[in-house]
Amino acid sequence: MLLLIDQVFIQLGIAFVGALLFWRLLLNIYVLLVTQTARQKSFIDKINRCLPQTQCGQCGYEGCRPYAKAIANGDAINRCPPGGNETILKLAQLANEPLARLDPAHGNIAPLLVAVIREDECIGCTKCIVACPVDAIIGGPKLMHTVIESECTGCDLCVDPCPVDCIDMINSTDKSIPTWTLPTTSGALATQLEAGS
Amino acid sequence: MTEALAKSSPMQLGKLKTQHIMLLVIAALLPGISVATWFFGWGLIINIGLACCFAISCEALALYVQKKPIKAALNDNSAIVTAFLFAITIPPGSTWWLVLFGIAFAILIAKHAYGGLGQNPFNPAMCGYLFLLLTFPLQMTSWHIPIEQGTLSPIGWEGFKQSILAVFPFLFASAESMVTTIDGMTMATPLIVSKMAGTNALLEANEAGLALFLRSSETGWELMNIAYMLGGLSLLAFGIIRWHIPLSIIVTVAVVSTLFYSPNSSAVFGTPYLHLFGSATMVGAFFIATDPVSAATTTKGRIFYGIIIGLSIYGIRVWGSYLDSIAIAVLFGNFCAPIFDYYCRPRVYGHTKRSLFARVTGSKP
Amino acid sequence: MSTDSAFKLNDIKLRPHRIFGGIKPPAFKSSSMRSRIMPSPIPERLILSLRQHQGSAALPLVNVGDMVLKYQLIAAADQESALNLHAPTSGKIVAIESALIPSQLQQSEMCIHLQPDNKDNAIALNEISDYRAKTNADLVALVKQAGICGLGGAGYPTANKLKASIDIEAELLIINAAECEPYITADEALLREFAKEVVSGAEILQKICLASRCIIAIEKNKKEAVSALAAALNNSSISLVQLPAKYPAGGEKQIVQGVTGLEVPSGGYPPDIGVLVQNVGTAYAVHQAIVEGKPCISRITTLTGAPLQTPKNFSVLIGTPVSFLFEVCGIEEEQLTGAIVGGSIMGVELADLQAPVVKTTNCLIAKSTQEFPEAGKEQACIRCGFCADVCPAKLLPQQLYAYARSCNRDELESHGLFDCIECGACAYVCPSNIPLVQYYRASKQSFAKQLKQEEKSLYWQSRFQTHQYRLKKNQEDKLSQRKTKKNQAEV
Repeated sequence: MLLLIDQVFIQLGIAFVGALLFWRLLLNIYVLLVTQTARQKSFIDKINRCLPQTQCGQCGYEGCRPYAKAIANGDAINRCPPGGNETILKLAQLANEPLARLDPAHGNIAPLLVAVIREDECIGCTKCIVACPVDAIIGGPKLMHTVIESECTGCDLCVDPCPVDCIDMINSTDKSIPTWTLPTTSGALATQLEAGS
Repeated sequence: MTEALAKSSPMQLGKLKTQHIMLLVIAALLPGISVATWFFGWGLIINIGLACCFAISCEALALYVQKKPIKAALNDNSAIVTAFLFAITIPPGSTWWLVLFGIAFAILIAKHAYGGLGQNPFNPAMCGYLFLLLTFPLQMTSWHIPIEQGTLSPIGWEGFKQSILAVFPFLFASAESMVTTIDGMTMATPLIVSKMAGTNALLEANEAGLALFLRSSETGWELMNIAYMLGGLSLLAFGIIRWHIPLSIIVTVAVVSTLFYSPNSSAVFGTPYLHLFGSATMVGAFFIATDPVSAATTTKGRIFYGIIIGLSIYGIRVWGSYLDSIAIAVLFGNFCAPIFDYYCRPRVYGHTKRSLFARVTGSKP
Repeated sequence: MSTDSAFKLNDIKLRPHRIFGGIKPPAFKSSSMRSRIMPSPIPERLILSLRQHQGSAALPLVNVGDMVLKYQLIAAADQESALNLHAPTSGKIVAIESALIPSQLQQSEMCIHLQPDNKDNAIALNEISDYRAKTNADLVALVKQAGICGLGGAGYPTANKLKASIDIEAELLIINAAECEPYITADEALLREFAKEVVSGAEILQKICLASRCIIAIEKNKKEAVSALAAALNNSSISLVQLPAKYPAGGEKQIVQGVTGLEVPSGGYPPDIGVLVQNVGTAYAVHQAIVEGKPCISRITTLTGAPLQTPKNFSVLIGTPVSFLFEVCGIEEEQLTGAIVGGSIMGVELADLQAPVVKTTNCLIAKSTQEFPEAGKEQACIRCGFCADVCPAKLLPQQLYAYARSCNRDELESHGLFDCIECGACAYVCPSNIPLVQYYRASKQSFAKQLKQEEKSLYWQSRFQTHQYRLKKNQEDKLSQRKTKKNQAEV
């Protein structure tokens, strides 16, 4: 009798665990099917947030979001020079891919610049206005143009179209945050850091 | 962008540096070491000297291999503290190769394999001790106390000679004399006696006047513990260690051993007094568990860390198969320390609803 | 602040409460307290920075070549966070150019260079016989006009602080005389000699901010200042709270805790809990501005350090070069290795001795190798926990240090990096010579930079979307226009 009860209990237990597992499986399949598209979309958004949004197109795509889409579909994560190593790090974490150095074919890491128009040379052709992805250049046909510095992403796209080469890329004049650096470590620590890097 | 500055405030710094802390720890160990030497002979001093030499050599070797600046790192005296702590925990008069193995494991593996000073998750001295306990259990559980004929004191010339010979057995002319001498001076610690006797050993032993050795060694252990405690209290007074860890260990051990002790039972629990002063509890509580690198650093974390160590000291002693348990207990505490630290963070100024601010405004900041 | 909570704050007994952590460094205060406060002589050139504090710059009202009189307004605050600047003496404006001023990061600022004519001709001051008759708004305007900023620390414009505390109806005014940093004795000397004026200034401030209670908080060990204050407070409603001597008891958040036992909420300011904190120097300046009509043109500055023969407190004209003051004190050049602006803990090393005194300069220390030896090399952290024991914000500095080194932003934030007040107590006690404060400053700034970059990228993203929307709309418009034209043509 006792043995029988034991048996029943064990079988009930196995059945219960089995049911649980089956239920989880069903749930997973459901989640997978129903939310995949939504997830794909939010995944692209997440990747897009990691990109610097300069819309410079150095990655070879139209802008940041198209590149994000490409990454979601398996493109390399190391094609964004303005984002530099930080962006690569974030993308690698997000897309679960190994770290890679920036692809030199797409440019080098450089401090962010802003475009400035040498206004006396500008002929008012509006070609740069058309090229600007964030509408940071104002001016009309046959009238002098100027760049709104705070809006400029430093994408470089206005430089090529200019027929008179009057656009310079310069260092941003924004110096509101003075900098402290991590201490230059010496002795044992320095060696450790060197060994680590 | 402005040129970055090399130096930030504060301009004035305190005078207490790492190397001073280490020296103070060593100074605080001296009373205990003197008492131990008085009762158990020169073996301890010889071991300490030997351990220091080995420790410095191992440290230098480790630094050389890792291409770190040797002189600057040796100046912090941390290797010497490890050597002292290691030497006072192993039986006095241990053979030289025992010391060498222990120190090599402590410095090379437990300390430098994890990145050197400040990086080791476990107390190096205790790692070395445990390594020896596991590999040479016999040598690690017998205490060699030289007794001079007539005076009964281990610190005469004869005792010194015997200690030297115990540490450096190759100095013997023949194997025969070695055997006789070693045989004559092996003895047990009060804990061992307590555990082996099966009953309330100390009482019985005293009543029966079982052995002269035992009685003298019992006072020795008491006085040694008191001396270590005084040293530890002076460290507290100097502000080198905080009271949380020693107090919580001692209180835990005292409370638990009082709870389990009943004078008339035949159980092997031992008196609270034995647990506090007849063993290595004071050294453990004041010097070993408080090793800053591997201990918990938050106030609450330190208390939990102390309680864990106190409980494991008692548990391992009474129910475990090892005789004294400081090393294992401290290592167990080291395992738990990072978790305690992470979850016992103090409430930061101006945070959480328990602050007075919330009591006044009735809202969460 | 609701009336309910106000009632509760007023219930709290004002007595010394425990503040977290803290250190007791050797004070080195006695040498500069030996002599009385001396007015400093007029130097050959005054360098008046347009930015006297951590705010925005003032707009100059004078041109090169202009003759100005003492107390004359020479630069006006055109923005909320700027300060009025007055000529400390009469003379000629010889230049308006950039010069190094004492600040955390050795910045240069635009400065008005004034060449005194040594006549000290002043414009007429309008003294106010009874300030009690004036409205609070008028008094705030007068304080703003006088260009007064917090003379104890960062130099936040006092008028703004007062306005804010009127808005939230502060209930408690704390006059901060807890000058806890080593070497500095400016406030102590001020109280010893001008306790009456300070009390008068405190009463004006209390009237302005409508606080029901006002106390002066001072450290116990300043015996002379305490007795002078006690005498001055004889018939006053203002009371005295004596705090134990401990660094940084004089920090704004710490003094609130030390006096009331309350904590300023994280990320907030004392007015958030109905408390207004003002420095004694500020109270004195307010007294001078309101009662005597004098704008803020000078301040009490401690000159001290081993290379100075006669360390003392000076009533220094704003803009006086540091090197001039050192010479007045008699300097032993061979000992001098540099200068520190501020106390020995929070102070800033001065790159150039020609830099001028600004309104926030409370102390100038002549450095020597005996007193300020080169800091030892940074060693490994041994996790001793001394730093956590002394942190007045109850942070875990050694954990923060580890996370700062690994640039772990999430952990740094959850360990309260932004609650760090950069007092330097942790670095002071660190046995391994780790410049902890610098790690925290660097981390804070790199986060601020990241945050700014993120904001920017979010903005650019929206701009790009607008741009694309515009292009699309243009295209659609064009198509529809074409369609309508085609339809018209077909018709």
